[in-house]
Amino acid sequence: MSHNNRDTRPGLTRRRLTQGLAAALAAPAVLRAQAGPVRIGYAMARTGPWTGGAQVSQEPNYLLWAEQLNAAGGLNVKGTKRPVELISSDDRSEVETCVRSYEKLMGSDKVDLILPPWGSNANFAVAPLANRFGYPFIAPTALSKRLIEMKLPYFFLMLQQPQPMMNSLVELLKANGAKTVAVIYVDDLFGLENYAALKVAVGGSGLNLVEEKSYPGGVKDLGPVLRGIKDKNPDAFVALSYPPDTILASRQSKEIGFNPKFFYASVGTAFPLYKQVMGASSEGVLGMGSWNRKSSKMAEAYFDAHVKKFNKEPDRWASGATWASLEILQSAVGKVGLDRKAIREYVANNTHDTVIGKIKFNGSENVATPGSVSQWQKGEFEVVWPKSMATGSLAAKPAWV
Amino acid sequence: MSLGAWLELLASGVITGGIYALVALGLNLQYGLMRILNIAHGEFLMLGAFVTWVAATSLGWSPLAMIPLSFALTFVLGLVIHRLWFKRLTDTSPNVDVFEARALMVCFGLMFLVQNFASWVWGGELRGYDYLTEPVHIGGAQFAANKLLVLVLSMVFAAVLIVLLRTTLYGKGVRALMQSPTGAQLVGIDTERLHPLMFGIGLGLSGVAGCLLSMTYTIAPAMGEPYTVTSLIVITLGGFGSMGGALAGGLLLGVVEAIGMHFTSPSLKSLLSYTVFIAVLLLRPNGLFHRKR
Repeated sequence: MSHNNRDTRPGLTRRRLTQGLAAALAAPAVLRAQAGPVRIGYAMARTGPWTGGAQVSQEPNYLLWAEQLNAAGGLNVKGTKRPVELISSDDRSEVETCVRSYEKLMGSDKVDLILPPWGSNANFAVAPLANRFGYPFIAPTALSKRLIEMKLPYFFLMLQQPQPMMNSLVELLKANGAKTVAVIYVDDLFGLENYAALKVAVGGSGLNLVEEKSYPGGVKDLGPVLRGIKDKNPDAFVALSYPPDTILASRQSKEIGFNPKFFYASVGTAFPLYKQVMGASSEGVLGMGSWNRKSSKMAEAYFDAHVKKFNKEPDRWASGATWASLEILQSAVGKVGLDRKAIREYVANNTHDTVIGKIKFNGSENVATPGSVSQWQKGEFEVVWPKSMATGSLAAKPAWV
Repeated sequence: MSLGAWLELLASGVITGGIYALVALGLNLQYGLMRILNIAHGEFLMLGAFVTWVAATSLGWSPLAMIPLSFALTFVLGLVIHRLWFKRLTDTSPNVDVFEARALMVCFGLMFLVQNFASWVWGGELRGYDYLTEPVHIGGAQFAANKLLVLVLSMVFAAVLIVLLRTTLYGKGVRALMQSPTGAQLVGIDTERLHPLMFGIGLGLSGVAGCLLSMTYTIAPAMGEPYTVTSLIVITLGGFGSMGGALAGGLLLGVVEAIGMHFTSPSLKSLLSYTVFIAVLLLRPNGLFHRKR
């Protein structure tokens, strides 16, 4: 309506009348939108090979978060509570579908905020796009040095990166007397980067790599490789693996009676599925994990809320990171509102208190959380390394049962 | 390498190969007999696996008891699917080439339908349960009990199917249809009954394979596709329509993969499978076990 007031020329043409009417009609809509929901968009794997990770570590947390916010009256946008509306779609575990979905969300739907997709590959593809559109992007399930080296100002990574994770593992092995290590790794970005980081960590540590073999994602049989490794009798076995292969390697090691002193597998060991499937055999297995219900009061509250809503436990690694990323976003919006540039500045320049402890970013990397190792002990995935994060101490691995 | 290690290696190849064979036999029935290139074949394997998982984890049933049930379920599903789509396609297609193309499209649709149905009902997460994972020692080698069970059962099912096809009148009818569809119909073989029956049995075998697989591997709605692709390789190896060929082809592929993976790297697995595949296509384009008529 300000439009009409600015008009000082006499005479009311039809065009002006229409414009005025349109503006008058639009004004209440604009006002309504102000108090309306905060629209938050994302694409997530609900079908295809990424689903296993996405539906354990990531999407349940988005849903729980939105539900909790709305139950409490909405998201605090710089003092005003507004309901949250999640706009989501299935990316079918395809990078192109994922990119197109985010293009639509940011380019034509113009949502207020976006949440990241699952996995390093999808984040790799979407992060530059989000950066171009100027949407802050706090990725909970991406693990890659190359993502950090891209130096995207709007992009933040929650998980500890390959080098700190592998350093931490090697420190633990060395401190506990391991001399020889055999490693298998999935031949994609995740496996290759972690393998490279492991080699760097092992170099000069006194540990000896006695076997190193890659395998393709979706592998159905690791028996032939594990038999070869069993013959070499290493102190430690390290699988830089995804959930199905983590379980496959564990089951097949049990099958052939390969029981090294240290048995480490990567993504998936932290899943509740691991202890369900492996039963008592999970005892003593090491893996990538960084928190559990005992880590803090906040962790306990989050864990219990997750169990209550989904009737299943969150995983002990990336689930915590996902929840922490939502906490960071929430506090940023509370402080600076929906100005995305201001959100970026807030995220980049503050130390954040989260469910998994303090988080601080240097560039894209979370530098406050050290690399960590966890171990299944009596049904809980205890953080055993480093001491500063530990919820339990390392136990000797018993035979598979 | 010790004798025990060799035994373990060969056995692990034969176990994987046994599953390949079982899935491929079902697909071969459908393609060899009816020219339905069932791209959705692996999805029924996934259904068998999920049904078994539900029964084992929620109802506490033995996965063994689920073998006949998953066969029955996927068999009936096969009859229904045949009645709903493929019978109509047979009636409306002017010739068998057109039928084949149309059936392929239908199968693609079916693949998405079944996979999304499973995601919708059970969610996309990985699932699994613990069944007979204790190691068994045989002559210096060590195997998981469930793997041996899978091997024995897949061999039994494959053998039963082959024997039935060789000895019963229905089996003769099926083989006649494979050799010459027109000739078989001329001598009065009832395709109206045989086709749905064989389609159902094909899916039933896939369901059984899924049931067996769920005992040893983690399962997810997307698990079926790789098995469809592998069984396409296997039936090409063995020759379209040749049941013995599919069995031998499946076992061969499993063993080649296991030995190859041991001496090179699992990353080269696909390379190995496709090398065998291409070599067979070049040297024996009608399949390894094709007899000149």
